[in-house]
Amino acid sequence: MIQQVINGLSIGAMYALLALGFTMVYGIIELINFSHFNIFMVGTFISMLLLQAMGFNGQSTLLYGLPLVGVLTFALLVTMLATGLLGVVIERLALRPLRGVPGTAPMITTIGVSYILYNIVLLTQGGTAKNFPNPMPPYHWDFGNVTLKLREVLLWGIALLLMVALQLFVHRTKLGKAMQATAQDQEAARMVGVDVDRVIVTTFFVGSALAGAAGFIFGLYYNYANYQIGYTAGLRAFTAAVLGGIGSIPGAMLGGVLIGLIESIGGQLIAVRWTDVIIFSLLVLVLVFRPSGLLGTAGPTKS
Amino acid sequence: MRLTKFAAVSAVTLVAIAGANLAGAADKTIKLGITLPITGADAADAALIQHGFEIAIEEANAAGGVKGMKLEAVVKDSGTATAGQYDPAQAATNTKSLVGDPDVLAVLGPEMSGEGKAMTPILSEADLATITPSSTNPDLTDPAHAAQYMPKGRAVYFRTVTTDAFQGPNMANFYKETVKAANVYIIDDAGAYGVGISDAFQKQAEKIGLKVLGRDQLDPKEADYTTVLTKIKALNPDSIYYGGVNQAGVKLAKQMAEILPNVKKGGGDGIYSAEFLTGVGFPAVEGWYCTNAGPHLTDDPAAKKFVDTYKSKYNTSPNDYSITAYDGALVAIDAIKRVAEGGKGLTRSNVRDAIQATSLKTLQGTVSFDKMGDINDRTVSVFQFHKNDKFPLDDSGHQIGYIGVAPQS
Repeated sequence: MIQQVINGLSIGAMYALLALGFTMVYGIIELINFSHFNIFMVGTFISMLLLQAMGFNGQSTLLYGLPLVGVLTFALLVTMLATGLLGVVIERLALRPLRGVPGTAPMITTIGVSYILYNIVLLTQGGTAKNFPNPMPPYHWDFGNVTLKLREVLLWGIALLLMVALQLFVHRTKLGKAMQATAQDQEAARMVGVDVDRVIVTTFFVGSALAGAAGFIFGLYYNYANYQIGYTAGLRAFTAAVLGGIGSIPGAMLGGVLIGLIESIGGQLIAVRWTDVIIFSLLVLVLVFRPSGLLGTAGPTKS
Repeated sequence: MRLTKFAAVSAVTLVAIAGANLAGAADKTIKLGITLPITGADAADAALIQHGFEIAIEEANAAGGVKGMKLEAVVKDSGTATAGQYDPAQAATNTKSLVGDPDVLAVLGPEMSGEGKAMTPILSEADLATITPSSTNPDLTDPAHAAQYMPKGRAVYFRTVTTDAFQGPNMANFYKETVKAANVYIIDDAGAYGVGISDAFQKQAEKIGLKVLGRDQLDPKEADYTTVLTKIKALNPDSIYYGGVNQAGVKLAKQMAEILPNVKKGGGDGIYSAEFLTGVGFPAVEGWYCTNAGPHLTDDPAAKKFVDTYKSKYNTSPNDYSITAYDGALVAIDAIKRVAEGGKGLTRSNVRDAIQATSLKTLQGTVSFDKMGDINDRTVSVFQFHKNDKFPLDDSGHQIGYIGVAPQS
């Protein structure tokens, strides 16, 4: 059971990073960004190609100590930068022209963008399962029946670090405060001199960079990449964002970890093939009884 | 003026049509439909099969075709982006479009049983025979399911490999007798093939006293199997049998290498595959057993010429299903030849009858079918993934080593 908690926390950390992107964009412009699913997937592929370009193939080359830290940090930063820019490009080309268009048009556009990314990867990288390079030595610690692996510790470390950094960014920097202001009331923020466009672009950049980080972690954790990975992970992360209260940053983190734990412990207690039923029933229940999510604030309805 | 111009144009058109018809009658082409999952997770293995078909067709054309008529392959892809692997619905669509082309006299394929299940009702309706080199689900040729898979009552699904009714049980015997497993945990991938072969394995395991600790099912689109593997680990199994194909298999094998590093593990022909080799990669793939529903052929002296042709043409090694594919195409071409030379009309029904009556010497020996369409030879071969440093790591012909014939029950 403790082993399942470790599994659940690992998947949950990934979902949480991904959920942050959904929740941030929703918080600012009230848009559910479905292209986020596949920005995550593109992140996995970017980091895979990057590691392969650096000469890592499969699990044959292992690194230790400083070179390992260096390579992983470098790959993480480049991936985050690349997916962050991808998010900015998507916002600039596909969403900004639709800003202010009422109804579901922008949301449908994000679904379209999502399929474009999906098919670009399918057509350029092929549909086969990829062996994601992993230079991490297979260190692990055994406590009785429970095994804690280096990659799990690393995954938690990266996720925690990024979440703390995000909290600091949102609460301590000027841009972060502008972000909060825009989330509360876009008109008022504009009136007091906040550059709303800049805030929106920043939001897309940060959210997409976090998706890229999640994609990189996914690759390291499973040693696997495929053009389809965005779908399941994205849907669960989206559920996590709603569960935690969409628009709420701590809510997304909590939601992600909860979904991860439900997935692993639910699988242990009931059966793995029932995972989706459990997760989505929970989503329905939360939406019925607490529409604003666990940590969401039931804000006044906007006119 | 206008009228004459119209008349002239019409006359020219008529002549052109007549000419086309005459030319068509003179060198009619015979088409062989091919449907395989060319894109997606099954692509690498579909290519190994497709190449086998193509070599047979090219050789037949080089030798003069059938009574001067050329053979032409009509290739359809049954993989879709939504499925990410073979898609039964697409296989059915492909079959309908092949049925719609009157020049198609026989079909080659599919690779997967799930495709076969979608294709057979359509094929049966048209009395159009197909020859599969690799799909092994027994239901397709089981008299108990005849109403579903051969509604017209005549076999249309012929195989140049045997079925999971032998592949699963023989592997259970191998687990007990050769691997010396004390107990086994069975996992399937929810597909038609995976569930069927796991059922057959499980039944035999229980019969011969190989203790079955449990059974679980994977969602092939899910990325994370650590939950189910952690659950299995608590049972401390001696061995694991996986019934399924690559999409779930690749992820399962990777995560299993970490969670259950010392367990004995194996599967069916769903992972006797180039994709499994490269997708999982060494060291995680090391030690996996797999089977093939036919005799081992690529090292057979009789197949040397084929293997050499394949290597020089495609720059990679064939596997045994390239050879069963080649044999399948030979059977189809031979049947068409017999119909053409026997003076009977070149119809789908006549070609089907000729395939049914086949007794042809091929690379795997003499191929003949029972009345349901199954090959009479029932050999099942066992292989093991084992790193061979002398060859490239993605060379499935050499990194998957032949162990022997699985004990027949």
